[in-house]
Amino acid sequence: MIQLEDVSRVYRRGADEVRALDHVSLSIERGRFVALMGPSGSGKSTLLHLLAGLDRPTAGRVMVADRVLNEMSDDELASFRAQHVGFIFQFFNLIPVLSARENVELPLLLTKLSKTERRERASTALRVVGLAERAEHMPSEMSGGEQQRVAIARAIVSDPEIVVADEPTGDLDAKNAVEILALLRDLRREFGKTVVMVTHDSRGEQFVDEIHHLDKGLLDRTVPGGGAA
Amino acid sequence: MSWIAFVWRNLSRNKLRSLLTGAAIALAIALVCFLATMPEGLNRLLDSVSANTRIVVHDEAGVAYDWLPYAYLEKIRAMRGVVGAVSWTWFGGAYQGKEGVTFPNMAVEPDAIGVVWADYKIDPAVLAEFKKRRDGALVGRDTMERYGWKPGDQVTLQSEGWGRLALTFTVVGEIPVQRSPHFWFQREYLEQALAARGWHMDSAQMIWLRVDDPARVDPLMREIDELFHNSEAHTASETEKSFFRSQFSALQGLALLITIVAALLAVCIVFIAANTASMTVRERMREIAILRAIGFSRRQVFGMLLAEATLLATLAGAIGAGASLGLSRLARAVAGGWNQQTGPLTWFIVTNTILVEGLFLAFFVGLISGIVPALGAARRGVVETLREVF
Repeated sequence: MIQLEDVSRVYRRGADEVRALDHVSLSIERGRFVALMGPSGSGKSTLLHLLAGLDRPTAGRVMVADRVLNEMSDDELASFRAQHVGFIFQFFNLIPVLSARENVELPLLLTKLSKTERRERASTALRVVGLAERAEHMPSEMSGGEQQRVAIARAIVSDPEIVVADEPTGDLDAKNAVEILALLRDLRREFGKTVVMVTHDSRGEQFVDEIHHLDKGLLDRTVPGGGAA
Repeated sequence: MSWIAFVWRNLSRNKLRSLLTGAAIALAIALVCFLATMPEGLNRLLDSVSANTRIVVHDEAGVAYDWLPYAYLEKIRAMRGVVGAVSWTWFGGAYQGKEGVTFPNMAVEPDAIGVVWADYKIDPAVLAEFKKRRDGALVGRDTMERYGWKPGDQVTLQSEGWGRLALTFTVVGEIPVQRSPHFWFQREYLEQALAARGWHMDSAQMIWLRVDDPARVDPLMREIDELFHNSEAHTASETEKSFFRSQFSALQGLALLITIVAALLAVCIVFIAANTASMTVRERMREIAILRAIGFSRRQVFGMLLAEATLLATLAGAIGAGASLGLSRLARAVAGGWNQQTGPLTWFIVTNTILVEGLFLAFFVGLISGIVPALGAARRGVVETLREVF
């Protein structure tokens, strides 16, 4: 499903060079729930951005769902993301002037679905995350956990193969964090999604199938997670 | 939810800011449309007479300086191609004495009025009455409406010239041209009044004539001026359009100034709208990053932001253009109509063309003000923006 072959990402800041990723090779099979962990600056988010089609490597090859992302133009990457990748961010990032349902509908504006179909798909996604009754509520009327659920619904509404989550529990209390991790695990179990999560949250280890540890841009080790059992 | 609904919601996220920016644009467009009525009035007058086969003959030195011998009228009437000719002699009478001369009032020959100004379509019955009544007055619609006169009303005009002569007229009917300010009365009436004071009037300020064939206009003007070249008063003949253009030449400078002021106003409002657009985009960088991440292309983000700026400006512009109708109505009530100094500049008529131009101006204000912030937001790299905001 996801293949990184000898991938490097170098940022140039004037005369300085920052090697965010250094010759990383990694494979993630379809339908796995994977965590990327490591200290700050280890390259976790960079790796996530590359496999999600948000960025291109300086060297190496990134293949996702049989597509080589290196060779795509900006528009092609945008289209790829719209069709194949769902995003969950740490701070929920819902549009404050849209209701929960309208936030979930947002990715569907990029499709050719009719207004009615978009509405139905959004309602279904909200039902999956257990928020059907809150569809018309604004983000300001919801708790952090509920907002993150809406964000998850938004991430899955276009039925992507891959869901990427960047610190999805970073802004949640313990109870909500566990609920969100369980929901992400369910995405894999019930819907066959491939979920890749960047996290500092050690609770995540119990939910994922495998954990890739990074340090200073290098892939340090890969260990099985509690979800593999 | 549709794209347009999404754009609309984004406009309503900071209602106060949108309202204030919209109000500024609406006010600016209202003022631009209102100001545009002034040069438009002048242009309409010149356009309305551009196809006429009317010629005006006046002294070579100018209308205000020397008058023509009255005998010239019959000679001009006898020339080939002249369908009819009428002299104008300025009376300069003030109505009710308070405001000075508020409409042009002229002594004319009643017999050829309907021929020389056939395009005015004056009612033949009114013309007949005008010929019959020595004290009759034909009044332009603008002046009739301004003073609420109707046929049969008695009107007294007091002239500062002509030895402070006051004449009383009976309104016989109107010149049915919307913005006509004229007040025409019989030359014979003035001659008799002056004769009673021992004065003999044997001149006229200018002579208007109509030509049967547009192709004869230029040759006839040359013939007239050649005819009187060796006479006591040299003539200068010109078309009606040329005459009004030169009469209002000072106003054209004023009209240009007004146009420049309106243009500067439009530029001001672009800056205000651009400032709002920039602030809005800056505040929404996080959201824009999310939209780009979930698959919105650069073009879609650019289009969305530009649509917001353009929609706000166009809606505000529509309100402003509508408001200009009220503004011009108010101006007409207070200071509109014919004025000796400002002529057609103070007709204050908001035409459909002005309204449409105002709307398009608002649209372009939105487009120009939104394009740079939208382009800047769309061009930013997704990862670069995500790193900045998260």
